[in-house]
Amino acid sequence: MKSLLTLRNASLVFVLIFSVWALWPRKSTDAKAPKVGRECTNPARYKYVIKVAPGFYLPGLMPMNVGKPLQGLNIVAEDFEKLYPDTFIEFVGVPGVREWLVTQLSAGQAPDILNVNVEDVWQDTQKGWYVALDPYLEAPNPFIEKGQPGSVQWWDVFKYQAISRGKAAPDGKMYCISTDMVETGFFYNKDIFRKLSLEPPKDWIEFLALQQKLKDAGFIPMLAYVGNIVDWGVDLTFDQFYAEILPGVDIIKDPIREQYLDGYFDWDEIAFLRSKGFFTKNDPRYVAHWQVLKDWRKYFNKDISSADMMKLFVTQKGAMLWDGSWTVNKLARDPDLDFEWGVFYPPPMTREFHPLCCGIEQCVIGGSAVQLTVTNSAFKDTGNQETSERLKRVMAFLQFLHTPKNIDIVVNECMAFLPNVKGVEPHKELLPFDEILARRYTTTKWTYTFDMNFNEIMYRMLDLYLNDGISLEEYLDWMQKDLDMAIDTIVRRKKIDFAPFEKRWQELAPARAGMKALPPDAR
Amino acid sequence: MKQSRLQTIVRNSACYALVAPTFALLAVFCLVPFVWAFAASFYRYEIGGEATWIGIANYQEYLSDPTLLPSFYNMFILTFIGVVITIVFPLGTAKLIFSLSSEKARYIYRILFLIPIVVPGVAVMMIWGGMIYSDSGLVNETLRLIGQEDLTRGWLSNPDTVLYAVSCIGFPFASGVNILIYYAGLASIPDSVHEAAQLDGATGFRKFMLIDVPLVLSQIKLMVILTIIGGVQGFQGMFILTRGGPGFRSMVPGLWMYFNAFSFQRMGYACAIGVFLFVIILALTIVNLKYFKSSEDLQAAK
Repeated sequence: MKSLLTLRNASLVFVLIFSVWALWPRKSTDAKAPKVGRECTNPARYKYVIKVAPGFYLPGLMPMNVGKPLQGLNIVAEDFEKLYPDTFIEFVGVPGVREWLVTQLSAGQAPDILNVNVEDVWQDTQKGWYVALDPYLEAPNPFIEKGQPGSVQWWDVFKYQAISRGKAAPDGKMYCISTDMVETGFFYNKDIFRKLSLEPPKDWIEFLALQQKLKDAGFIPMLAYVGNIVDWGVDLTFDQFYAEILPGVDIIKDPIREQYLDGYFDWDEIAFLRSKGFFTKNDPRYVAHWQVLKDWRKYFNKDISSADMMKLFVTQKGAMLWDGSWTVNKLARDPDLDFEWGVFYPPPMTREFHPLCCGIEQCVIGGSAVQLTVTNSAFKDTGNQETSERLKRVMAFLQFLHTPKNIDIVVNECMAFLPNVKGVEPHKELLPFDEILARRYTTTKWTYTFDMNFNEIMYRMLDLYLNDGISLEEYLDWMQKDLDMAIDTIVRRKKIDFAPFEKRWQELAPARAGMKALPPDAR
Repeated sequence: MKQSRLQTIVRNSACYALVAPTFALLAVFCLVPFVWAFAASFYRYEIGGEATWIGIANYQEYLSDPTLLPSFYNMFILTFIGVVITIVFPLGTAKLIFSLSSEKARYIYRILFLIPIVVPGVAVMMIWGGMIYSDSGLVNETLRLIGQEDLTRGWLSNPDTVLYAVSCIGFPFASGVNILIYYAGLASIPDSVHEAAQLDGATGFRKFMLIDVPLVLSQIKLMVILTIIGGVQGFQGMFILTRGGPGFRSMVPGLWMYFNAFSFQRMGYACAIGVFLFVIILALTIVNLKYFKSSEDLQAAK
């Protein structure tokens, strides 16, 4: 009995000591590791503590785990604080999930400046959560020297005008500043291509043949996540099928947005075209573009959800990686990479490939990367945008940041995105993406057009369809229900009047007269 | 002498005062949200937007929601597997520990089986997702090692395997307080019952099934109720590992409720799903309490 007690005591003491040891806060193993973010330790000292969630550029982060931790924004903030000693700029990391965003904004506790996909913002513009930036963009940026772009109106400093202005919400207002640009591409292993005597393809037929050769040689031809296929793949194939018929179906010509987004389908246009039989089983183009994606699927890696694509690419198991320009930062700076790589853009789908394609150059699907919005927290001092001094200071920081000198410091600190300010050149490794961004913009962006409910179902069912979980027929049924539900919601929320659409539709009838394979209701 | 109700209350006022803070907290954080959710389920209500009275439209919509059938099917499968696992593995393990002849060994095993509960559930999920089921995880690497490359797959992304892969998380399911609960039940069985069974010739598995299992029915009943409630309400595992996918192959109603509330901002609709789940849990619990007999009920019946 005594020995049992001793054993019990000993084991309990051991567990206790072990638990205390395990839970005891310990010093960082790397004393030199930089702090992530920038925190104000004495808020009472400052009149304005401005909280910024800069996303990718958060100081202390090391993008793609290569290079040095970012410090660019810290430098800019220190310079700004020298000009405004009563202000402190905090940088915080925030979860990239909509749940967090919605709860913080509804409580008025979001950071003053926030990186968020502006299409998410569009869903909530009627709630007063975001500040429309047009008055500031149309006024001079006081931090830009006279005579330089941006000194008359801030708008002029932005390099990629079409894409930047295209981020205007359907209510016509601009809620974000596009700090930089991103584009996607097929990163390919030049060594493998050389070994198999392959060249970047000129059209989709060549592209499929190339992938077959890679597959026959034992490589995974294409590495990509399902999310990339749902977002980028859908838009690219959709555009290849619909670009040719735009003159007969592009209903709305918005005098402001259309000069930058010529032919772009907004939600109201999609809703109207749906009533004419487009985007249903009766629309041959719609059906065909999903089939093209499915046919392409066999060249992707088996697991498109959870596999480590970058690992498969750098270990040369995969020959091509479909990813964004941020991948350059990894490939160009990784000292262990022992092959040569290049990048090319998806080739066009010609009429020989499919009778409903026209061989038009593939469009831009990228665009603004870091998109900085100003939230309702920025004017919490008065609760009124007109009278808020705090909002003026927040805007001053945004203006200060978007000057050539500061954007160069922040964006070019790593090789991920292209600076969107005139006079700031991107890294030469990113120049191929600069050329792509000069192309025309996509016909629509399905995953950003409707609400999150639509996106969620589309993502899930396309994933299932691509992985043989459901047939094309079932998938189309799901998509039809999903689209109808999204359209109902958007019509209710935005109170869309379709009468002008119908009038324009009738006017465009001659343009549609010679078009093939339109849905029966669209004649 | 009979006291009036008022006198009783006054006499026990100190007790009521002690209970009051707990009750107030319960009311604020459990009862009020429930009443609020019930009321909100009759509105079209977006976070940050205006609420519009729509009566039972949210309930009607949920009954025709395309996720309803798949998510309830998944929930049923997962709960059923969960109930089986909760009964079989911890009870078997508790019996094995209880059967050890050495008190020291029993004590050590009880501690050893309890230690894993210090690992947070989220961490367990991430370990399984990242180290066991991933492309280069334990399962696929083992298959490659034995030359079965063709059998490798994304276990959590394959429509045919996802539900069962999720069910297997926690294998061999023999840790935590479940074992202790069953162990306590086994320990409470009088020695005389075992001796009588032995005299009657019952040994081994037969004795376990005929003597031990009926006498720990109270514990089994408790575990079944808790597992059913957890199965109907729970969605953390799916949220972390699969987000209910691919498609809706691992979607459960609780997760769809969460998505509607915080991703789609359809708070009224999410509340309707929540009320729907509450009714189901209540019904299942009543059925369980009424028709699933405990060991005391069995003894009373005798």
